[in-house]
Parts: sequence; structure tokens; C-alpha cells
Amino acid sequence: MIDTLLLLSLNGLIWGLIIALIALGLSVIFGLLDIINIAHGDFFMVGTVLAWFSLQVTGNYWAGFLLVPLICFVLGAIMQRLVIQPIRGNPALSIVATFGLSLILQEVVRMTFGATPRRILPPIQGTMSLFGIQYDIYRLYAAGFSIAALAAFFLFLNYTKLGTWMRAVRHDRDTATAMGVPARLVYIMTFAVGFALAGFGGVVAAPITTVDFRGGVDLLPVCFIAVIVGGLGNLPGTAAAAVLLALLEGIVQSFANPTLARITSLLLMSAVLLLRPQGLFKGFAK
Amino acid sequence: MSGRALAERGLLAVFVVFLLTVPWSVPLLLNPFWVSVIAEILIWSLFAASANLLFGYVGLLSFGQALFFGFGMYGVGIGIDHFGLSFWPAFGLGIVAAMAMAFVSGILAVRLTWHYFAIITVVFSLIFYFIAVSAKSVTGGDDGINFALPPTFSFGTVQYSFADANFQYFFILAAVAICFLLMHLVVNSPLGKAFLAVRENDVRASLIGLNVYVIRLIAFVMAGFLAGVAGALFAFFGRYASASYMFYTFSGEAVVWAIVGGAGTLFGPVVGASLFIVIREVVSTHWEHHSLIVGVMAILVVILAPKGIVGLWRDWVDTPADSAEIPAAPELRTEP
Repeated sequence: MIDTLLLLSLNGLIWGLIIALIALGLSVIFGLLDIINIAHGDFFMVGTVLAWFSLQVTGNYWAGFLLVPLICFVLGAIMQRLVIQPIRGNPALSIVATFGLSLILQEVVRMTFGATPRRILPPIQGTMSLFGIQYDIYRLYAAGFSIAALAAFFLFLNYTKLGTWMRAVRHDRDTATAMGVPARLVYIMTFAVGFALAGFGGVVAAPITTVDFRGGVDLLPVCFIAVIVGGLGNLPGTAAAAVLLALLEGIVQSFANPTLARITSLLLMSAVLLLRPQGLFKGFAK
Repeated sequence: MSGRALAERGLLAVFVVFLLTVPWSVPLLLNPFWVSVIAEILIWSLFAASANLLFGYVGLLSFGQALFFGFGMYGVGIGIDHFGLSFWPAFGLGIVAAMAMAFVSGILAVRLTWHYFAIITVVFSLIFYFIAVSAKSVTGGDDGINFALPPTFSFGTVQYSFADANFQYFFILAAVAICFLLMHLVVNSPLGKAFLAVRENDVRASLIGLNVYVIRLIAFVMAGFLAGVAGALFAFFGRYASASYMFYTFSGEAVVWAIVGGAGTLFGPVVGASLFIVIREVVSTHWEHHSLIVGVMAILVVILAPKGIVGLWRDWVDTPADSAEIPAAPELRTEP
């Protein structure tokens, strides 16, 4: 019993770290561009699929950790320019446009990758003993990569020029533009970074989950819930909410079936939304 | 009467005549298969109208209308399959179930607005989706339940039932038409004006003495009614109810259809739903990957016609005298 609890909590924790990456991507796009990105789950899915293709081409899974976010970054930049820029500033239209993107991404993957879900073997096999249970080594690596990527993202946001520009435009678009920040470039970069984060989440997660053209559909509401519960615009809050959510689901899963665990966490989310719509962490973090 | 109003009346008249003659004209022009496609479009238009009533008229973006569609659908399905109800009580059960659910969830949901409202509607509908999926003995889960449909009317030995394709079509047409008529009446009533006031500026609306919370709740229950009727009709139409129609992606499609057609206009949802379903039906017979076309279309429409197709038409034919009317497309901004 304790073993199951520990195993499922660890799984939940690691899955939460991956979701945190994806939700952060969603949050920056949402906060800076006013875009309700319905395609964000599919961005993650594209990441898992690209990881599969990169494994086929290079024969080495680790190559995907570099290649996939890069490809996603470029794809994101192109999409922003072609689809998002013309409708920027209108969240209602962004729903329709990103719904269109979502359909296109899913369908292109179905055409090229196929409709059958596939599994990828983890690049590191085997288990190690951890707190008395045998645990997949790759999952621990996945946790490490996620934490590294989260840290890198916050460093990027706080200590690089582009990151500073992104925060500036988010804070006050007009003033930032008046101070010479190239707002248009920042928009393109933001969308690209958001896609790259989700794509990176995809590479990390692909050996843990299945690669499937509908793999993003279930993930999308979870990411949105993390963004809202963490507090709109509160990036550390988003990451924390994602981890808490998945951890909670993992813990409940050791007592009940996965669906019941899902329902429990959703009920809890509604309670948070109704009682603390300003987010769970308001007052703790800025 | 302005030129545009005249033109729109003319179009409406042509449309009504077309709808009334569908069972005869369509098999002649295309083939009989399209009669049932048009019946389906009518049902989905009603579903899109329910998202439009909330978003287009009251400014609440709901991603949870599939919940009420599902309650309407399961009200009919469970009513017939488990309780052995006949046609009308099952129809009533579906509608009442949907409205009751809308009332209960609305009490909580309409306390929130904009992003928060959108998320809580997703969360509520997901909760019931998962319940429906796991309660296999009652709902059949993702596989759903099939049932035999009892006759709609029976006078002695004469029966009218959905087995007759023409009767099925006209029943759906009548039900959808009544709902749109009701919506037209509500939108043009003082309540409809109150909806618009809340949509445009809820603070000002409350300052002139409107109870914003109650107005939003009324709209939410009305939208639940529309979605419930659509779900019940869909259950009759397919003799089938399934949890997969309660997933949030279906709610999203209703929102997309409404915005593409023209949010905040009565016929926008009809235009949007027709466009997407006709494309799907036409392309899917030739090409497996029809979603690709639908995706490209959705993007092109919002770039080229940001007020939706109905909005585009109005900009195109409008004379300056017309523009004194209510603004059609809501301007929703997330700015504090």
C-alpha cells in the first residue's frame, strides 16, 4: 500500500513537472498575446511526434532533446506571423484561429505519423531502488530535465535581453514600444518560446506516455486549470499549481481508480476557482 | 425599412421556403442522404445558438455547453431505455434535466466572468464527462446506449414516428424553429436589452439597477435549455446517446461555429454550423483528411471576416443609416 502510494505520488510529481513546462508555455502566450491557445495541447503532441521522428532519423533519442524544441521554435514563429499576428488583441478570434491550428496539427500528424498510437522505449532502461521501491531511471532523468528547463526558462525571462523585453511588453505594451522594444519581434518570440516549451515537454514525456495524434486533447484542460489556479500572470504559481495538481491525482489514484482521481482533482479545482479566483498563491508570490 | 433589412427579409423568406421543401427538393437536386445532413445541421445550429446566446448576447464565454447537450441526450436515452418512457415524457425529461443542471451549475459559474467563467464551465463539463464515462451501467460510457424509439404521436392505429424520414425532418425543423423564434423574442424584449447591457459593461448595467447576477443566470439557464433541446433531438435523430458528445471539444466546436457565423446575431450560428458541416460532408467523401480543410477555413474566416460571416455581409451591404442598430460582434478585451 505504502509502496503504491509512493510510486503513484512520484509518477504524479514527475508528470506534474512536465505539465508545468507546458502550462508555462501556455501562460506566456496567454499573458503577453491575449491568445487563448486551444492548440497548446497539440503543441505538446507535436513534440512527442517529432521526438519519434527524430529517433527514427538520428537513431539516438537524446538528439531529440535539442532538435525538437528548435523545430518547434521555428514552427511557432511561422505560425505567429501567419495566423496569430492578423488577429492579435482579440481573444475571441484567437479561440477560432487556434482551434483551426489544432485541427491542422492533428490532421497533419495523422497523415504523416498515422492514427495508431505508438510507444517509444526510454533511452535509459532499467530501474533503481528509491525509498524502498524499484523506480524507472528514465523517469528520474525526466524530472531532472524538466527542472533544468524550468530553471533555464526563469533565468531566460529574468536575465536576458529578450526575456526582459517580454516582461516589459507584458507589463505595459505602449510604454515598452515607446522605449524602443521591438514589440512585434517580441510577440513572435513569445509564441515560439511557448511552442518550444510544450515541444520540450513532449520529448521528455514521449517515453513515459504514448505518442498519439490525439495526445494533446486530454492535456489542454489540465494546463488551463494550472494557469488559472496558479493565478493569471503568476508564472511560478502556474508551475507550482501544475505540480500540485498532478501530485494530488497521483495520491488519489493509489486509493481509487484513475477516473475517480480525475474527478476529485477537478472538484477541488472548482472549489479553488470559486473561493480564490485570484489564484491559489496570491499574496505568497509576486 | 432600410435596404439591408429588406434584403435580409428576402433571404430569410428564401431560406424558409428552402427548409420547408427540403424533403422533396434536395433528393431531386442532390440525393436523399442530404436530407438527414440538413436535419443534423439544424440540430447543431441550435447547439451553436446556445453558445452564442451566452457569448454573443451576454458576453460569457462557455466551453461547457456539451454538458447540457449531454443531459438532454441522456435524459431521452435513459428515459426511454431504463424507464421505458414514451416519446414526449422522454423529451420533457431531457429538457428538464438540462435546464436543472444549467440552473445548479449556473448558480456557481456565473459568479465568475471571462477566463474564470470559461475555465469553470470546462471543469464542470469534464467532471460530468468522467462520471458518464465511468458509470457504464447507466450511460454505456463511450460506447453509449442504443434504443428503439417510441412513436411520437399515435391516433388509434395511425402512428407518426421518426421511422418516417419526412416526419423526422419536419419534427426537427419545427422544434429548432420554435427555439429560434423564442430566442428572437427574448433578444428583442427588455430582457434581451438587459443582456446586451451586461455584455457591454456590467458595472454600468448594475448602476442603472439591473441585477447582473440574475440576468447572467437567466441567460445561462436559457442556453442550457437550447443545448438540452439540441441534445434531446440528437438522441431522437441518432437513436443513440454517448458520453463522447459531452467532451469539452464539442463545446469548443459550438463556440467556433457561433463566432465564425457571427457572434451576437440570431442566424450566425446557423451560418457557421452549416458552413462547417457542409464542408465536412462534401470533402469527407473524397478525402479522408477533411479536418485539414476545416482548420484552414476557420483560420481564413477569422482573418478575413473578424465579425463573422454575418458581420461581413452586414458591413458589405450596410448604408450609414443602418449602423444606428445594436452592434453585433462583442468587443471582448482582457485588459484591466
